[in-house]
Amino acid sequence: MSAKPVFLVVDDSRLHHQMYMLVFAKGALAGSTLLHAKNGREGYALFTTHPEIEMVFLDLNMPEMNGLEFLERRRSENLHPHIPVVLVTTEDSAEDEARGRAAGAWEYLRKPFTPAQLTELVERARARGVRT
Amino acid sequence: MNDDAGNPFAELLEEYVAECAPLAQAVGDTLVTLERRWEEGDPADQLFGTLKGSLHTLKGNSAMLGLTAIQALAHCMEDVCAFLGERPDLRPAASGLLLRGAGVLVEMVGRAARGPLSADRSEHFISEAREFIQAESVGTETSAPYPERRRFERRTGSEVGELGSDGVVSTIRVDARRLDGLLETFGETMIAGLGLREAVRDLAIRHRGAGFTDLEHALTSLEKTLKRLEGALMATRLVSIATVFGRFNLLVREVANAHEKRVGLVTSGGETQLDKTVIDRLGEPLVHLVTNAIIHGLESPAERERSGKPSEATVTLSAVQRSDRVILTVTDDGRGLDPERILHKARQLGAVAADATPSREEVFAMAFLPGLSTTERVSALAGRGVGLDVVANSIRTLGGSIEVASEPGKGTKFTMSLPLTLAVLRSLLVAVDGERYALPLGDVAESLRVTNEAIHEIDGHGMMLWRGQVIPVSDAAEVLGGSARASRNYCVVVRSGARRRGMLVDGLLGHQDVVVKALDPSLGRPPTISGATILGDGRVACILDTARFAELRATEASTATLS
Repeated sequence: MSAKPVFLVVDDSRLHHQMYMLVFAKGALAGSTLLHAKNGREGYALFTTHPEIEMVFLDLNMPEMNGLEFLERRRSENLHPHIPVVLVTTEDSAEDEARGRAAGAWEYLRKPFTPAQLTELVERARARGVRT
Repeated sequence: MNDDAGNPFAELLEEYVAECAPLAQAVGDTLVTLERRWEEGDPADQLFGTLKGSLHTLKGNSAMLGLTAIQALAHCMEDVCAFLGERPDLRPAASGLLLRGAGVLVEMVGRAARGPLSADRSEHFISEAREFIQAESVGTETSAPYPERRRFERRTGSEVGELGSDGVVSTIRVDARRLDGLLETFGETMIAGLGLREAVRDLAIRHRGAGFTDLEHALTSLEKTLKRLEGALMATRLVSIATVFGRFNLLVREVANAHEKRVGLVTSGGETQLDKTVIDRLGEPLVHLVTNAIIHGLESPAERERSGKPSEATVTLSAVQRSDRVILTVTDDGRGLDPERILHKARQLGAVAADATPSREEVFAMAFLPGLSTTERVSALAGRGVGLDVVANSIRTLGGSIEVASEPGKGTKFTMSLPLTLAVLRSLLVAVDGERYALPLGDVAESLRVTNEAIHEIDGHGMMLWRGQVIPVSDAAEVLGGSARASRNYCVVVRSGARRRGMLVDGLLGHQDVVVKALDPSLGRPPTISGATILGDGRVACILDTARFAELRATEASTATLS
């Protein structure tokens, strides 16, 4: 990949957007481009118009359109099925994670996560050629 | 995970507080509403869902920052909510517990950026909550004490709002200290500009105005730019007063319960904006006024009903902007101030002559005298032995003024007037004995030329007729701790609330925007000086606390009459 990798962050928390910015500012992921959306609806709009996205980090609980609704809509429209979507959940939501996977999430990331865990997810996706 | 700096996102602590403090506050506010609705038998499921959503977000955010104590607290409150989801019948009984949790949550989140947190209070809450769930689970048909049934409720509104629709961050947060630094630098630039202006004026005078037009124009354009820069800079420091008002829902409820009062809080004008410095220092005096109102001003529900009032009292907080000031009011519909009692106390304190017959307004103004608290009782929760004089002092340090109006049996209203900003002051420069002083222009009612004959000496006090009313007049030097001179040419009439007072000065030097510098407290200063500024020629001028002058001298005059 010669162009800068692009990632989409969908979260209603400003704080989380800044966390992603920190993670993507250094180390292996430095130089990536981040797209920010504050709810599922905005996120879906960006997802539609940016097929070059390498991976989506999708929060579960959001106003307007939540993470599951995002995934369900994407599946029903079969939109960019090759882009891996990571569902971001909290520690005690095993049930949600199962529903997320069923709705087409590639992986899930549990809060609290570390920069290393996030980086590892990206590298794992690249290694497996989830996205070519 | 623990609360140390090893967290990879530790640098976002300030941002965490900025995002989560309002969320914690919203948890408290929502609970206050829920408590009422539940008591009325309304399960209020949608609002309950909002509450659970906020707690969930707080839990997640705290976890990311390694704030395990807050995370555990939010988690525990979620558990209580989940339990109440199964047992709607227990909701009214549990609201007090949840509100206590919300109080701890607000406090801990607010303190998170200021060093390690003690988990004492959160742990205390958690054990209390566990006991509640356990006690209520015994003998019921419900299977699990911690039913884990989380639905994906849609949350209304957005806590972000700062992201533009194009996905680009359109708002950034800046460390307040950087803004202070910027302001400091701006102040110095402005002082340099004033110096330049004086130098150009001198040059023009010396050379009879020849050939300096270009310089003058350049300077005028620089001054205009500085003016715009000032406006832009001030705008970055404005914070809406809702951040202060937000604290009061929980507080009012807590104080009202402790004192067996029923109180509803009404706020208006929360969107009104004030300088951050003013906002930061406004909370405490407002807390005093509101708690005082509840404890001392409001009657018990039974007493209210007997006098034909609704049993639930109302405390109102309001803010509104009037030109370059913000008017804040704290109103209650309680029993009102007792003028007889205030006057009696004031006489005991020797603050007013035994035979003086002050007007009602004057009596109410005495409520702000040191040592004059109308109740003997000091309340553990709110009274803290703090009198209205302390409140008035805090407001004055902010360059504001405060007055009170009251109708016995109907209620009391405190009105505060505060400057939008503390950094730049529109002032009137005056000359007194070769020194220059700056007077806040907002407090100047009029400045006029006077002759000796216009000042009447009554009982050793100067009086003059101004716009049909007799007002007291003092010599500026006397007020500033020097000795009075025989004659001055000008009188500046200053106001504070309904008070007017004349100050005799040698000369009026014109209007000027000055940059306020705080005085080193160790230097000591007369109470009538509120700060200092540097003028164009590099010399220091003191800023007079005109409101203080109007009030302080009035009481001194009354005391003097005693002797």
